Amino acid sequence: MSLKRQLGLDILEEKYAYASDPVMGHTSEQKIPDTWVSTTCGYCSVGCGMFIGVKDGRAVSVRGNPDHAVNSGLLCPKGLSEHYTLEASNRALYPLLRNKRGKLARIEWDEALSVMVEKFRGAQEKYGKDALGVLSTGQLVTEEFYALGKLVQLGLGTKNYDGNTTLCMASAVSGYKRSFGSDGPPGAYEDLSQADVIFLIGANIADNHPILCQYLDANPRRTLIVADPRVTKTAMMADLYLPLKPRSDIALLNGMIHLLIENGLIDRKYVAAHTTGFDQLEESVRKYTPDHVSQLTGLTPEQIYKAALIYGKAKAPFIGWTMGVNHSTKGTETVNVINNLALITGNVGRPGASPFSITGQCNAMGTREAGFASSLPGYRKFESASDREELAALWGIAAERLPASRGWAYPDIIEGAVAKKIRALWVIATNPIVSFPNLGVLQHSLDSLDFLVVQDGFHPTPTTEVADLVLPAAIWGEKEGTYTNSERRVSKVNRAVKPPGEARTDLDIFLGLAKKLGCYGELFPGWTQPKDAFEEWKRISAGRLCDYSGLTYELIERHGGIQWPYPTGATEVKTTRLYSDGRFSTEDGKARLLPVEWEPFPEQPNADFPFVLNTGRTIEHWHTRTKTGNVPILERLSPNAWLEMNPRDAQSLGLKPHDHIDVISARGRVKSVELRVTEIIAPGQVFMPFHYAEANANQVTQSAFDPISREPNYKQCAVRIERAQIAPQYWGVRGSPRARVQA
Amino acid sequence: MLLPLLERAKEKNAHFLVTPKTGASSGGVPQCGISFAPDAARIPQRALLPGEQYRFHFDMTKCIGCKCCVVACNEQNGNPADINWRRVGEIEGGWYPNTYRSYLSMGCNHCMEPTCLEGCPVDAYSKDPVTGIVLHSAEACIGCQYCTWNCSYGVPQYNPERGVVGKCDMCHDRLDEGRAPACVSACPETAIRIEIVNIAEWKREYAAHANAPGLPSADDSISSTRITLPNNLPPDTRKADFFRVRPEDPHWPLVAMTVLTQLSVGAFVTIWLLQLFGKTTRLGVAAMVSIIVAGLALSASTLHLGRPIYAYRALKMWKRSWLSREVLLFGCFSGVALLYAALLWFKLPGSLAIGALTSLLGAAGVTASACIYLVPARPAWNSKHTVAGFFLTAMLLGPLLAASLGIGDRRWLSIAIVAATAGHLLNEAGKFFWLTASDSFELQASARLLSTTLASSFLGSGALLCLGGIILPLFVPTWAGASASLLTVLAGEVLGRYVFFVSVVPKNMAASYLSAGKAAA
Repeated sequence: MSLKRQLGLDILEEKYAYASDPVMGHTSEQKIPDTWVSTTCGYCSVGCGMFIGVKDGRAVSVRGNPDHAVNSGLLCPKGLSEHYTLEASNRALYPLLRNKRGKLARIEWDEALSVMVEKFRGAQEKYGKDALGVLSTGQLVTEEFYALGKLVQLGLGTKNYDGNTTLCMASAVSGYKRSFGSDGPPGAYEDLSQADVIFLIGANIADNHPILCQYLDANPRRTLIVADPRVTKTAMMADLYLPLKPRSDIALLNGMIHLLIENGLIDRKYVAAHTTGFDQLEESVRKYTPDHVSQLTGLTPEQIYKAALIYGKAKAPFIGWTMGVNHSTKGTETVNVINNLALITGNVGRPGASPFSITGQCNAMGTREAGFASSLPGYRKFESASDREELAALWGIAAERLPASRGWAYPDIIEGAVAKKIRALWVIATNPIVSFPNLGVLQHSLDSLDFLVVQDGFHPTPTTEVADLVLPAAIWGEKEGTYTNSERRVSKVNRAVKPPGEARTDLDIFLGLAKKLGCYGELFPGWTQPKDAFEEWKRISAGRLCDYSGLTYELIERHGGIQWPYPTGATEVKTTRLYSDGRFSTEDGKARLLPVEWEPFPEQPNADFPFVLNTGRTIEHWHTRTKTGNVPILERLSPNAWLEMNPRDAQSLGLKPHDHIDVISARGRVKSVELRVTEIIAPGQVFMPFHYAEANANQVTQSAFDPISREPNYKQCAVRIERAQIAPQYWGVRGSPRARVQA
Repeated sequence: MLLPLLERAKEKNAHFLVTPKTGASSGGVPQCGISFAPDAARIPQRALLPGEQYRFHFDMTKCIGCKCCVVACNEQNGNPADINWRRVGEIEGGWYPNTYRSYLSMGCNHCMEPTCLEGCPVDAYSKDPVTGIVLHSAEACIGCQYCTWNCSYGVPQYNPERGVVGKCDMCHDRLDEGRAPACVSACPETAIRIEIVNIAEWKREYAAHANAPGLPSADDSISSTRITLPNNLPPDTRKADFFRVRPEDPHWPLVAMTVLTQLSVGAFVTIWLLQLFGKTTRLGVAAMVSIIVAGLALSASTLHLGRPIYAYRALKMWKRSWLSREVLLFGCFSGVALLYAALLWFKLPGSLAIGALTSLLGAAGVTASACIYLVPARPAWNSKHTVAGFFLTAMLLGPLLAASLGIGDRRWLSIAIVAATAGHLLNEAGKFFWLTASDSFELQASARLLSTTLASSFLGSGALLCLGGIILPLFVPTWAGASASLLTVLAGEVLGRYVFFVSVVPKNMAASYLSAGKAAA
């Protein structure tokens, strides 16, 4: 501190000065940029339009795009502070290679890519092509996902490629495929404003997709039903709140279907014309009487009747869901029951009426469309010979080069490494050490690898710290391309500032690697920029459900995002829905009604582990906090993990509010978590956020996966709560967030 | 009262919400049918009439606790993360599954009777005559932080980087441009709006609309914020941070300043009394020591200021602010005491009268000093125990200094010391029982702090007083004993004053359950 400041002659007037800007109005002078770069938010898949303010080559502010179709200028707290992620102190700056002394040391890019190719090729030559695993993300632009899919499957030649999307939306993907014949959410956000009934299952949009709440506000006629075991803020907004037991949603939905059939509240014409399997469905739900469902769900028969009748009598009911449904060993089938309910009442693809998965990451949808991991690009099926031939012809390659089945999914790649079948792993823009369930197994898996490459915008992260090679990547705000949001809206993402240090865009890294591999000319002829990938992707998607062929970057920019399908020749930009004509993507054009049975979740509480642990999010943080953990304002607003416990349970354990506790399961222990005693959570259940590496919820979660989607069962596992063994260093650690960031 | 709206509007040549802009639009075409409330729908669309002011309206039924307002405010004002002119707190009640957690978003309440303004010694605050917005001038502020004690809502926050306080000004310059304040504009739920309120009407009606669970009573300052509460708030709704009570800032310069001024005043009064009863030996020496103590005290006080060079400005508001009065009275006290010491030292005539004046000014200074702490927003300070405690410190330390300098009759001094100590201990015990017996959250929380986190310091200070103020004077009647006594009691007083500062639980709005890191105060 200067002497002038200490005496009080200087009060940093310049730093705290205000000025008036024609766009922003009167505001802090340091936030007023020279130029505004239009883009789309890089956190969740609501897909808000925004501008990055750039001054002297630095991103100094952001503001919502008032003309964007999704958010009309509003942003959530993460979006409002997104520019801080670009200059975070934990950005990855240089390629790093683990040297002989076991330390990560800076190397040149050329060497990094050479080492990567040498190690990958070495493992593949020795142990087979599929000994290489690739784990990607939902954070890249679609152009990069498209390029990465080709590079992995055709260039590196391994099938064992999957992404973080399997930890998030895979159950929705599989559920859509089974019910409708293809991935692709049928509805649109506008439906939230047009529906007369909105039924949210395992979705806390108030915390996790807050900008969507405006659509509900804009709809005063709606009746909101929320099914969630935890009294979330969204549940508190509900007209009918269904506090059901964990993972009893299948029973509830079957019970509703049962009542609707029994009371003649279904659309028999629609069922006959557009679905198959009704008789089996009717048979399967017969035992789900209100009394039986009441036992399974803990709801009263009245609540079940009420929910069924409100939904059944609605003109345009909307069903939205997120992780409460997907994060389950029965995730796919739960999605199928949701689709069953929508199908038998004829509520698919009409204004206001659709089943609708509210996606997680900003571009999880993009990797599903173009990524070549869980399906061939353009929602083509690995199993379909005609799909393979069509794609091979478009690419001008032999159809035999395309795999006839998908490779291992994320959890199988992890277990494959334990079994020494995966020898080298490439992790892109994801942080499994915090995000993958049952940390012990994951660590064993990563330890078993011969070579681990982590490509990320941030370093150190818990995962880059154990990598053999770290590749620094550009992030949102530093690269160009497109994101697709939950409602299939393709929005433009633009580069506002240069990546820090020697970080490169993921596309540049992929193309550089292709050159080293010698497949650049064949797979990416002449590509230098995202637009080259986009143009090819448009051709590949033509005629598919996710048809991009009529889109151009200019058109997307002009309209602030356009929903697919947008085929060549389309002229009108309007809200689109899928299956509005009742024709589905199955061979016979009919949707499948699939009987699903309720089952108890895999790890029931017992005498040793008497609580059911539920995990989830908080509004201030994003995933594993690599992006938000160094945004000072977000850290201040949500500085540490906590565990929610009902006061009755706390009393019986002799625990008080703010005590520090350990969470213990058969697999591990999360140490020293702050206890939140609250009636938000039911007796017998506890909840903690999964964002915090320092209190990693996945130390206790289990290795149980949906057999169809391979999505982990994050939402329920049996735990015990004990008073923390070591008291936390409270005053030292907490301090002011600024002090910590500077430290 | 007539507000010169039109004159001022003309004067500034400003368009005062007469021609509102509707947000910054880049001219594209929104495609879908949903358009959310633009800025213009969130702020008043007419000019203020005389007798009216702007206020916030917070609709708790709409707020989802997203904290966009907090982030937008920090961006708007370029504040560091640990200073939040707008904050969001949580209140919670009910029984699973009928649980309700609601959120309180609050900037400044632009009160009708702003307590921040009333206490300010340098007149840094003003209530804008046109808009009613409570404005703060960073240029005028000297960083004394007295306003941060006076506000029941914790609105003014000290920025140590700048050395001055800052607060929400309702983005009045944005309003002037026809734009909504940053928090209002950023709210995805349109839960925050700016409204016009008739001041006279509000003063009659505020109690029904300005109060909420988790908020201190609007009575302290007549908050202008209108709050729409949900109909279904459970009766047991209370602040989420109910059980998280943390010690406040110790304000070490003020610990030193208060204890040392009281020592100095006590010493001068003792000297004067001894002089009155005919003692003359070494009174000059004692007075010189006491004047040095007073000097130290006043120097220590400036260390508390963010802008010590402007300490003199604190004299400005002596008609209104106890802080100004304290500075003024102790300033006069020091001057007169110096004269008194000189007269005693040089054995000049007139010292008895000057001594009387010194004693009077000292007592007045200690009174002013105590009155600073009698603020409704800090309930544990706002009691007779504070005044009694400050005077008892003076009454204890004065005779102790005299005894350790070997002036006066040791027996009489010992009686005075033991009596003052007993009074002091009784006062502290009385305060503790008053806190425990209270039904106010803040007082009970103070008692909780004293009996848990601060128990060892609290009891330790009592033990030191017992040792130095009772045991040593009674059982070790020597000069060495008197010196040890002074040092022990001084240590006990410093520890006790530290406990006084850290054990106060200020009134404040509900906070989050999780600690938001140390508040910048």
